Amino acid sequence: MIQVQQVNHTFLIGKKGKEKKVPVLKGLSFEVKQGEIVAIVGKSGSGKSTLLHTIAGFMSPEQGSITVNGQETANLNETERAVFRLNNFGFIFQNFQLMPGLTAFENVELPLKLKGISPKKRKESVEQMMDKVGLTEVGDHYPNELSGGQQQRVSIARALITNPPILFADEPTGSLDSETEQDILLLIQNLNQTLGVTFVMITHDEEVASIAHRTFKMRDGELVKGDAL
Amino acid sequence: MLFKDQVDFVRQHIKKNKLRVFMTILAATMGCAFLIVLASIGFGIQDTMRKEILQDQAITEVEVYPNENEELNLEEIKSVPYIGAIVQRTSMDVMTSFHLEDRSIQGNLLLTDMQEEEQSNLKLSEGRLPQNESEIVVGYHFAQNLWTDAERAKVVEEEADLPKGYEKSIIGKTVTLSLQPYDSEDAFSEQWEFTVVGVVDIPARDWIIDQSILMDKLWLSKLKGTYEENAEQIPENFTYTTTKIYTDSLEHVKSVTKDLKDMGYNVYSVSEQLEQIDVFFMAFKIGLIFVGTIAVLISSIGIFNTMTMAVTERTREIGVMKAIGASPKLIQRLFLMESAWIGIIGTVLAVIISYAVSYLANWILPMVVGTSLGEDGLQDLSITFSLIPWQLVVLASTISIGVAMISGWRPARKATKIDVIQALRQEL
Ligand SMILES: Nc1ncnc2c1ncn2[C@@H]1O[C@H](COP(=O)(O)OP(=O)(O)OP(=O)(O)O)[C@@H](O)[C@H]1O
Ligand SMILES: [Mg+2]
Repeated sequence: MIQVQQVNHTFLIGKKGKEKKVPVLKGLSFEVKQGEIVAIVGKSGSGKSTLLHTIAGFMSPEQGSITVNGQETANLNETERAVFRLNNFGFIFQNFQLMPGLTAFENVELPLKLKGISPKKRKESVEQMMDKVGLTEVGDHYPNELSGGQQQRVSIARALITNPPILFADEPTGSLDSETEQDILLLIQNLNQTLGVTFVMITHDEEVASIAHRTFKMRDGELVKGDAL
Repeated sequence: MLFKDQVDFVRQHIKKNKLRVFMTILAATMGCAFLIVLASIGFGIQDTMRKEILQDQAITEVEVYPNENEELNLEEIKSVPYIGAIVQRTSMDVMTSFHLEDRSIQGNLLLTDMQEEEQSNLKLSEGRLPQNESEIVVGYHFAQNLWTDAERAKVVEEEADLPKGYEKSIIGKTVTLSLQPYDSEDAFSEQWEFTVVGVVDIPARDWIIDQSILMDKLWLSKLKGTYEENAEQIPENFTYTTTKIYTDSLEHVKSVTKDLKDMGYNVYSVSEQLEQIDVFFMAFKIGLIFVGTIAVLISSIGIFNTMTMAVTERTREIGVMKAIGASPKLIQRLFLMESAWIGIIGTVLAVIISYAVSYLANWILPMVVGTSLGEDGLQDLSITFSLIPWQLVVLASTISIGVAMISGWRPARKATKIDVIQALRQEL
């Protein structure tokens, strides 16, 4: 599903003229198979988010190739990348990243709007999804009228609404209490088992990592343990 | 994304910032309304002047003058297409007095061809055109300027009210013509009698006094003969002829004017005058529109600011949109739609306001000008101060909406350039 080969990336930091080179990704190679739950763990600053951003196409790595679903992402232009993300990826963010001006229902509906699906069909599938994540009651609430767990479920519902084959999550439970965290983890496992969705998630949390089929540990931009390719 | 969803999206954003968007629309409205109202003055005054000219004289009339020491070649002129009638009126360098009972007038005797006069649609207020050479048509003010010698003396001495002249109907009356050279004390003894059969229509302008007499041109040689018999010598340029050509319709005035000019004649027609006016006003209007456009440009700064702020405020949202798969093109379009919407609403309001201002100006300004001049008469003059033709509306709308979209373009570009990672990092 995802092949990462020899990915290198270096950031330039500091004042202009006196920039320092900071290598963040150092020759990473691994593969994620379809239907897998993969957890990426590691110390803060080890390059986990940067890795995820390169796979998701938010940025291009300096070197190396990333192939997702048979598509080499470096070969796509901005517009094609957007379409590719819309069709293949779902994102769950640590701080939910919901649209404050849209209700829970509308937030979940947004990717379908972007896909140009008719309002009638949208309503049907959003209602189903809301039911699946247990949000039917709060559909017309705005994000600031929802609890953290509810917000995260909205964000999960939004990520899943287009039936993407791959889901990315950066600290999906980072801002939730442990009980809500459990709920979300069960939901993720359930989705993985029933729909065969591939999960790539970053976490600090041992418990979260425990639901993963495989765990990649990063240190200073390198994989140190796990079933690296 | 469906178009309807895009519109919804834009509307939602506008709703969130009602006041700011309202102020921006207000500025756009003021700029565009200023442009329309300013330019409408040009259109209005031009319209007034055109109307004045068209009222001034028969609009199908083309005056032709030969060059010095040359004569008109009538045969050649007749060959010009669309000519309806060629009216040549000849006056003589002699005093022509007409007498009726104890009254008399020094009228302006014009010798002409009655058939051509008829073809040129000469309008009469009373009676008919002459059917034989002893019948004449007189000007509208002929009768009221038929004064007795006593009345005339009184008018010269004191500034009394003008005498009423001959108050009975002049139609069917017989008047007597006598000739008197300008340098002589006495009139020739010979006299001729004519029957008045018609009165020419009131002149287009109320300050024109028409006391002319239209007489068949057969009389020219007779009267000239009499002059030659009685006076020692006939003046140089004893006769003077004006030639007016009447075209079939107004549309042909231009082509006839051009054809005659090409023949080398001096030509004067309404179309000539209108053309000059149009050229002048074209320049004038372009100037006004230019000044008005500057106002639109100033108001566009507001749109630029508003859109820049909107993009900055929504950086995180734009980042999320991009992350979940909105293409840069879509994001650019959404923001362009928003600035276009501001431009469109501003323009629509501006057009409505402009029509209201224009209407009020045409209603109130004549009154204000009239009072300050101390005349009531000005109100009756239909002066158009401001006129908004649809072309002006189209032009102003294009400028205004175009400028709105151009000023929204940079912020929209900026929105597409937003970096997803940076945007997602922003605090909620
Ligand atoms: N845009 C950037 N410019 C410069 N340096 C950056 C940039 N983004 C990240 N870095 C650097 O890259 C390194 C890795 O950052 P990254 O965000 O990938 O870490 P992380 O593993 O996700 O950490 P955390 O667990 O705290 O989220 C850090 O040292 C950081 O300073
Ligand atoms: Mg991180």
